[in-house]
Amino acid sequence: MGQFSQYVMNGIMNGSVYALIALGIVSIFKSTKVVNFAQGHVIMFGAYFYFTFSVMLPEATFMPDWVLKWEPEWLAAYKEGALMFSPKAAIAGWVNNLPRIILGIIGAVICNGILGLLIERVFMRPLLGQSSFAMILCTIGLIWVLEGSASLIWTADVDQVPPLGPNFPIRFTLFGEQVFFFSASVVNFGLALFLFGLLMLVLRFTRSGVAIRATAEDQSTAYAMGINVPAVFSSAWVIASTTGAFAGAILASRNGLSPTLGLFGLSVLAIVLMGGLDSFLGVLIAAMLVGIFESLTQWQLGGEIAEIVPYVLVLIVIIWRPNGLLGQAEIERI
Amino acid sequence: MIIGEYKTDYGQDEGIWNTWAKKLGFVVALLLLLLIPFIGNDYQLLMAGQIAIFVIAVVGLNVLVGYTGLMSLGHGAFFALGAYTTVALHQFFPHLFPLITLIISMVVAGFFGFLFGLPSLRVKGLYLAVATLSANFIVLFFIRQDWLEHLTGGRGGIETPNAYFFGTELITNQQKYFLIVPIAIVMFLFAQNLFRSRFGRALIAIRDNDHSAEILGISLFNYKLKSFVISAAYCGAAGTLWAYFFPAILPEDFGLNMSITLLICLVAGGMGRSLGPIFGTILILMVPELLKMGAFYFSEGNASAQIYFSPIRDIVFGLMIIGFLIFEPMGLVSIWDRFWRFINRWPFAK
Amino acid sequence: MAIKRRTLLQAGAALTAAVAAPSIVRAETKVWRVGASLPMTGPFATAGQLVAPAFAEFETVVNDNGGIGGIPIKIEVEDSGYIPKNALANFQRALAGGDLHYYFGDSTGFMELVGPSLKGDQAVMMGSTSFASVLANPKERPYQYMAGPTYEDQFEILLRDVAAKGGKTVAFIYSDTEFGRDPIAHGKKIAAELGLKVVLDEVTKAAGADIESHVTKLAQANPDYALLQGYVTGVWPQLIGAARAFGLKTQFMGTFWAMEKVVADKVTAQAGPFLDGYQGVMPYRYFYDQENAPYYRELAAQKKAANPDFPGYVVTWELEGRLNLEIWKKSMEMTLEANKEINADNLMASFRSIKDWDSGGFFGAPVTIKDHKIGQGRVYRYSAETKLFTPSSDWFTT
Repeated sequence: MGQFSQYVMNGIMNGSVYALIALGIVSIFKSTKVVNFAQGHVIMFGAYFYFTFSVMLPEATFMPDWVLKWEPEWLAAYKEGALMFSPKAAIAGWVNNLPRIILGIIGAVICNGILGLLIERVFMRPLLGQSSFAMILCTIGLIWVLEGSASLIWTADVDQVPPLGPNFPIRFTLFGEQVFFFSASVVNFGLALFLFGLLMLVLRFTRSGVAIRATAEDQSTAYAMGINVPAVFSSAWVIASTTGAFAGAILASRNGLSPTLGLFGLSVLAIVLMGGLDSFLGVLIAAMLVGIFESLTQWQLGGEIAEIVPYVLVLIVIIWRPNGLLGQAEIERI
Repeated sequence: MIIGEYKTDYGQDEGIWNTWAKKLGFVVALLLLLLIPFIGNDYQLLMAGQIAIFVIAVVGLNVLVGYTGLMSLGHGAFFALGAYTTVALHQFFPHLFPLITLIISMVVAGFFGFLFGLPSLRVKGLYLAVATLSANFIVLFFIRQDWLEHLTGGRGGIETPNAYFFGTELITNQQKYFLIVPIAIVMFLFAQNLFRSRFGRALIAIRDNDHSAEILGISLFNYKLKSFVISAAYCGAAGTLWAYFFPAILPEDFGLNMSITLLICLVAGGMGRSLGPIFGTILILMVPELLKMGAFYFSEGNASAQIYFSPIRDIVFGLMIIGFLIFEPMGLVSIWDRFWRFINRWPFAK
Repeated sequence: MAIKRRTLLQAGAALTAAVAAPSIVRAETKVWRVGASLPMTGPFATAGQLVAPAFAEFETVVNDNGGIGGIPIKIEVEDSGYIPKNALANFQRALAGGDLHYYFGDSTGFMELVGPSLKGDQAVMMGSTSFASVLANPKERPYQYMAGPTYEDQFEILLRDVAAKGGKTVAFIYSDTEFGRDPIAHGKKIAAELGLKVVLDEVTKAAGADIESHVTKLAQANPDYALLQGYVTGVWPQLIGAARAFGLKTQFMGTFWAMEKVVADKVTAQAGPFLDGYQGVMPYRYFYDQENAPYYRELAAQKKAANPDFPGYVVTWELEGRLNLEIWKKSMEMTLEANKEINADNLMASFRSIKDWDSGGFFGAPVTIKDHKIGQGRVYRYSAETKLFTPSSDWFTT
């Protein structure tokens, strides 16, 4: 049982990364009815922006030293005598990097927001009114554009970024057995929950949230009611790209930074559909489920089979519920 | 003044050659196709063969996506099934007649098309696209399995047999061209004819509105599944020819990438149009090659320059796809239409 | 109507000419033509873009020194995007452009795809980035070779080193790719021979692996050594980092593609010193180990002359590309010396007869070709302090 809960926990931690990637896809779909195949590449740009502001910029000569490595006196006192790889050393190392991590996140969120706005205005806006199929293919075309641009701007060199949180194991006993999880994963998990919660609250209680929901319900009626639909579309892309900046920072610190990072976007498509394209909660649940099933499969059956778990799960779920776990059924009129 | 094509009965309207331009175009195209193997070098024939194979698959996809209105992101899997069926068959019957392999592959791929088409009644649109997307991963998963390795070669891929045509082994690209292109033409014409029949019209009715079609007495389940089977069988046929054409096949050849490429070919050419797949495939397969040649011409193969040219090439290709969607949403075929309309009515109208 | 038919024919002819033109223009002057497909875009763009400049430099340096046998060389590099089919098209295009004297492939997949068609006048001597065991097979693949030991050899070297260092249990952790699986079966056989117990056989995703679960399983198996295979830039640093943070005592070992100093340095700089003590097999000397490597010293001088900002380190991936080219050059010179015609068969015959060749420091011992590969390698250990991989074993020969 302890073993089992260990793997379930691993799965939830992994699932939260999927959830972070999926978040952007849902927010764009909800208001524009476009499945963004290039979300992974938007995330990759977020990761590169994070890299630019947290690694390249602090290393520049005109930046003060403390941005690159912050060493206040109390930290030195705290760090004293800490063993290599001990939690204490991990936390101290993280505090060293804190200024540039914050700088990186702020820079990445702003730049990626601008990128999202640009994509919407330049590529998606002219397609307004065409079939959603054409718009989806447009996002596929974007994959090449974004990948090529990243390779031109940052070169294809593999790079590393500072992790968002310190990484040390947290151990405790569950069902009489020792289990653990990594603090860095807890940060990811918390961030995923926070962003999902925030978006759901915004949608429910703010004016722009109502506008987004109205547009999701019926575009032309929303237009007729005086809602600025194009502005809703822009804000959807901005939401997707700013949350993508967080996802990018996390993915890059987990997997290293290279132009391959974009491919993760495609791997969560199955999860998004499983949850229901227009339901934040559904997608969050689906991401966790897939994470859990993957890690249980990894445990019992090995990594080979774990790779097709999401695809088999999505097939089963979709046959059972054609609009995903919590997706809204479309009402069709003849 | 000619303002359109003048037809006096329905027979003329239904005919494939309903204008002189089409008739002439077909003859010219056939002559060109006959000329290519004698003037092309190995590289050009490699591209020509590849295009012909892709055309078959895209024509098949057109039946499903363009005419029946069902989205699929999984046709790479049926392609793979055709290719691997061919390889496996030839291990038991080394000199099997290529057309028999072709038919068996089509049956196998069609059967799997039937299986993955089953959700199509319940699931629609994007959800269907992703249900079929799973086909890619599941089929490739089995192909990679160790216990099938003696048939499929597993992860490392497998060398493919050459086709034996009445005792002659087809080795060079030129010889293979004469196997592939006639099959492509026949399959293209078959699909073209399909939509002049009751069956084809039923599919179009489903595309336009499936509930209305059902009310008109079209069995959705029956027709959607048949459409799936036909399009999968086309991809299976393409897979067989792919296996004959290339010296070896690898599982990676057929993943999600191929499924997406097939879809892009279709959209760039024009969905639901018979010539669309041909134009789209030529465009999507040739443009990267032409861009490469362009990059090569400017960089002279210099390695350091290629570092910059390669990503730029990717960007240009992506922008081209987006540009098509924005400026020619109906695909290349609409430029073609405009061109012939202009010729037909010249000098009276534009 | 007549006009249109003519325009159509003209257009067709023009198109054909446009496609064919480059090939007609190119075949004029006498040079030794070398073609290469490198993955400048796609998943391995990192490696492709780092290696590419080496090809341009090699061309310049060889031509400045009078070419090979007085004839200059011309290296034509194309991007493959790491898609075997594209690389095959590149290869066929290069072939159509005239005599081709050497080709450098970018992947195992391409080498397998092109292998069966290398016959008669299509045959070209061919090296590649891959160390896949299937490629070192003179009988089945008479024109393909590798400039180092196969993955199976590399694994064998690691296991022998583990046994020599007194390890008892090992874990195999590898990606679910052909590259990852390549040496596993052989590795198990060798482990059994050496009396090592394989306590964990773990398959991971090639990218974005479920690190927690792998570490959990690793902690339960708790092997002395964990051998990693099938990774390039990702997964292995994170896996080691998590295992270190967890407090595992397991030693990690990798093979060629996961042994790059640049990657290890960047990980150390951003995430902390957890790669300290990471070991792995490297067929070549690292570039900074120049004492017994005249070739490296020469190369450093060349680079310094061309670029005053040259930081003094050359990635191992580039060294592999260079060694491939050097081996071809050596084969060319041997063939010319023997006054034989330059064709794929003679080149490969010369290549096979390379014996006790002084590679200029790539390897510890003189190079002798056996089974189209060079079965040498050494185990190195990374230090986060000095940021260097230093040898932790003698040269192994397989």
